Amino acid sequence: MSSPFDPALSRRNFLKWSGASAAAIAAGSQTPVLHAQAKDGNTGQAPTVAHKYTVCGMCLNACGMIARVENGVVTKLDPNPRFLKSRGMLCARGNAGIQQLYDPDRLKYPMLRKGERGEGKWERISWDQALDIAAEKFMKIAKEYSRCGVLFTPGSDTQSTFVHWFAEVFGSYNIATHESSCLLSRNRAYLDTFGEVPFADVLHTRYIIIVGANPFEAIMTPDTIDLMTARKNGCKIVVLDPRYTKTAGLAHEWFPIKPGTDMAFFLALAHVITQEKRYDQTYADEKLYGINELTEHVRQYSPEWAEKETEIPAEAIRRIARELSAAAPEAIVYPGRRTSDYVNSTQMRRSMAIVNALLGNWDRPGGLLAARQVGLANPDLPEAPFYDDNPENRLDHGMANMMFDEEGSFKHLRDAIIAGKPYPIKGWFIYKYNPLQSLANRKKTIEMMQKMDFIVSVDITMSDTAYMSDLVLPAPSVLERQDPAVGLQGSSACACVMARDPVIPPLYESRPVFDILKGMAGRMELAEFFDFTVEEYRKGQLKGLPDAEKALREDGVYYNPSKLYGVYDGKIYKTLSKKIEIYNQRYAQMGADPLPVYQAPREQPVNRYRLVVGRSACFTHCTTQNNALLHEMMPENTLWLHPRSARKLGLTDGDRVEVKSHAGRGELAVSLKNGIREDTVYMASGYDPLSPGLTRIYGRGACIADLIEDYADHLSGNMAMHETFVQITRKGAV
Amino acid sequence: MRTQLAMVIDSSTCIDCKACMVACKVENQVPEGYWRNWVKSSEPRYADVDWMDSVRPAHFQPGGCMHCSNPTCVSACPTGATYKDESDGAVKVNDRLCIGCGYCIPACPYGARYRHPTRHVVDKCDFCQHRRDRGELPACVTTCPTKARVFGDINNPKSDAAQLLKQNRSIQIVHESVNTQPNMYYLSATAPINWPVKPGKPDAMQFWKLINPSIWGVVGLNALGVLLMLGKQILMSHDKPAADNSSPEKES
Amino acid sequence: MKRMLISIMTLVFLTVSVAGLMGAEKGGNSRKGKYTFRKSCRECHMEGGKAQELSPANKTQAQWDAVFAADQYKSLACKAEWEKLSAGDINDIYAYMWDHAFDSPSPAKCK
Repeated sequence: MSSPFDPALSRRNFLKWSGASAAAIAAGSQTPVLHAQAKDGNTGQAPTVAHKYTVCGMCLNACGMIARVENGVVTKLDPNPRFLKSRGMLCARGNAGIQQLYDPDRLKYPMLRKGERGEGKWERISWDQALDIAAEKFMKIAKEYSRCGVLFTPGSDTQSTFVHWFAEVFGSYNIATHESSCLLSRNRAYLDTFGEVPFADVLHTRYIIIVGANPFEAIMTPDTIDLMTARKNGCKIVVLDPRYTKTAGLAHEWFPIKPGTDMAFFLALAHVITQEKRYDQTYADEKLYGINELTEHVRQYSPEWAEKETEIPAEAIRRIARELSAAAPEAIVYPGRRTSDYVNSTQMRRSMAIVNALLGNWDRPGGLLAARQVGLANPDLPEAPFYDDNPENRLDHGMANMMFDEEGSFKHLRDAIIAGKPYPIKGWFIYKYNPLQSLANRKKTIEMMQKMDFIVSVDITMSDTAYMSDLVLPAPSVLERQDPAVGLQGSSACACVMARDPVIPPLYESRPVFDILKGMAGRMELAEFFDFTVEEYRKGQLKGLPDAEKALREDGVYYNPSKLYGVYDGKIYKTLSKKIEIYNQRYAQMGADPLPVYQAPREQPVNRYRLVVGRSACFTHCTTQNNALLHEMMPENTLWLHPRSARKLGLTDGDRVEVKSHAGRGELAVSLKNGIREDTVYMASGYDPLSPGLTRIYGRGACIADLIEDYADHLSGNMAMHETFVQITRKGAV
Repeated sequence: MRTQLAMVIDSSTCIDCKACMVACKVENQVPEGYWRNWVKSSEPRYADVDWMDSVRPAHFQPGGCMHCSNPTCVSACPTGATYKDESDGAVKVNDRLCIGCGYCIPACPYGARYRHPTRHVVDKCDFCQHRRDRGELPACVTTCPTKARVFGDINNPKSDAAQLLKQNRSIQIVHESVNTQPNMYYLSATAPINWPVKPGKPDAMQFWKLINPSIWGVVGLNALGVLLMLGKQILMSHDKPAADNSSPEKES
Repeated sequence: MKRMLISIMTLVFLTVSVAGLMGAEKGGNSRKGKYTFRKSCRECHMEGGKAQELSPANKTQAQWDAVFAADQYKSLACKAEWEKLSAGDINDIYAYMWDHAFDSPSPAKCK
């Protein structure tokens, strides 16, 4: 055997696979896949080796994996080459999923708090006791206050759909998802412009402007991989970021924009494109609503004006506007993902959406794509009951005027819970959600928790939020559970269905949240609403897709070959004007700015630095810093500080500093980085936890959640996490 | 022609996500604190205060054992545990012969070897031999998001690696003191390239003398001979040294 | 600057007042409407049901206005079902349909 593997395997075949063609799926086969399907023992070893398809759960992208199981132990996770959304790759976190499974820091059995909240004293109890207590406490709150007196926070997880269902049948509208600290302002802006939240066809674009996003570090599939492929194919990448991220480092042009002034840049782009008539007039006449109003409105926003706001040279802005429109419609202002940055985030994203509208890129190759049909059905479930004695609305209703009713606003909810108005919330069911590390103003979240009578956390490790709870229930990792089917949008790669089956049985006493909810429902006279198994639920979801089960079994994924481009041909847009609303009529009716009006960011106080949030490819928000395989990459966080700012403060690289805001404080070392503006500082999220249960990072670095002050986007109620200014002082040598 | 496994890397597509490092660590059970592979980075030097005014793009460079055709580590090994496998061209360590003396560690200009803290043998990349036995690619290659690492037999003209080499200019990274003829090729250009060190004499001699003098007797003569050869490698190599601008480039 | 002040004031004013307008404009209880709709109508108006599958997102707000303003439902095959509902129930359903219409700020999600 001179060459122990097939040279045809690998790159060319991989490219064929990732070629977005459903036909390719039926065609060739590939060695790694064969191995996944192979019967045990094909390697000549004892017949205890199995390869099983599964889907990663280390972040919410859901990338296809093949787990190798030897003697019942998962020994390696490899990418599933048939999983087009993830382009046959698995990132560092995906590879480290194995450590999440076997982490000694995992929760092992149900625990009930003894002593004060946060004191760290626990009593091990049985599952029966745990479910009895949870059911009894929530029913007590329902009787004494109302069913809306229990808050549910399902994090981003395949089984979260069951938490939503439980909340509905239990009778609480108070559900807050992670979205109100993430992407709601982006969703708001695009929904209010195009009537739909788009996916970017990064792969086929020729020019992309990336602002408030960092796709080479905040990995998103397939966008991250597609961006590199597009770059190889000649796509120009322009990045605006106050920090030299890896995306900035790999861009063709990077501008360290003054934080919070992004809208000025986009209004100036719109200025150049409209004044120089660089848009398609026929397209505008047919599809756009308010082009004339826009032209008039942006006349004031010249590149010269924008230069003063953004600190990006006017000549560069003008040039970029021309290059961008020349590449249109294969040109994109990248919509980004986490847009929880400023109090005017929605309007800021509206200005970006409007430039996209001018590029005429909607529903076209290399532009913005509509969601594709996946074909999952809603399983037949009994009708949820209606409780007449409930309050009429969510607790945070009306606290932002364009809030999404299903997602709410954690920031506003928290204020209302602390105020106890308009009605009290006394219970909290938490699943895969860790606001004490991931959201602004940790102290305020603790204050909110102190208003509550009973808090349940379902988690894999003792996160800070679990640590401050009353009852902690151990959940399995995604490798240990059966999940409902989920439809995934993979931009131009695919629209697909994924579903998980256990790779190994749950470890310790961990139970999936579905079992927990079912157990609670049975103790609350709600058993009829959970009278099904995950298996049955999934069958219900797949009833309209006869080929899906086979494909899931054989390929680990099912593709619905639905239309990709031209979805809107002959269709109206879901807006009041039935067109792309550059000028938003509903905003006008409400008295909000129908066209984005520039609002300069709050003035920066002297000797204060703007604190910005950002991502690393090894960490999912605040969840993987304690993972031994990833922890090595950054054992603790440091404060990025420009050398000139450091000189002013009398600091040298590695000095320890105290960082203070109106919300809190922290201590950490500084890293002198030229790759950050002098007026801005950055630190990674997820360090210095309250919980000693996170043994590797406990006492390491500083907690950004303790520093960020709580602001919200006016329109969507999305958290605004870049509005904080911090003071930096040197700590004496230790 | 004889098989020569190699890695052809388009480092300009690396995003420094560290997937290859974690994949390798899991696949090969590399202990905490040690690595068989890496991603080096040529981000701007932050000491340069005016750097921001003249932005240069960042460059990330995946690497690992280069499976050299002229391996200084093989010459340094007193027991023959480290050897160039003629069947696939990979440089390997035979655990049963390795006495953990560690001579080979400083003899590698690339820092690709470490002494395993519990197995007490030297460990390094073997292009995932056990995966290849199963017909799979090395873990780092399979997992890479941008498929920057392309692996194959460069003597087999049908392999992706050979074709990439044929179609592109490529460079190898070597220290000026010795051309190890590495089998890791970087397409067109890569950075940084001035990081290899001069193959050194092993500090481990001292270590072994202290720890287990009896072994010295057994391997001493062997080691002396090997050291002479190493010295020869270092002092008498007349191969063209490669610096930043004069790396040997292979053109088609 | 003036413009900025005005927009800030507008926003402050809006968060206090107009917000409620979105959901409560129709006077009905949208949540109750969802329940009543599902209880009374969904059996037929679901996938594979006797009638066309129906969700708030099937029509625009203007279309729902038309349906309810003209009592269009009275000419439907399920007239008898409608007559069983109280005026309050119908108003609740209207509120639900309107709040989650095709072109509403929170269109009903179809999976």
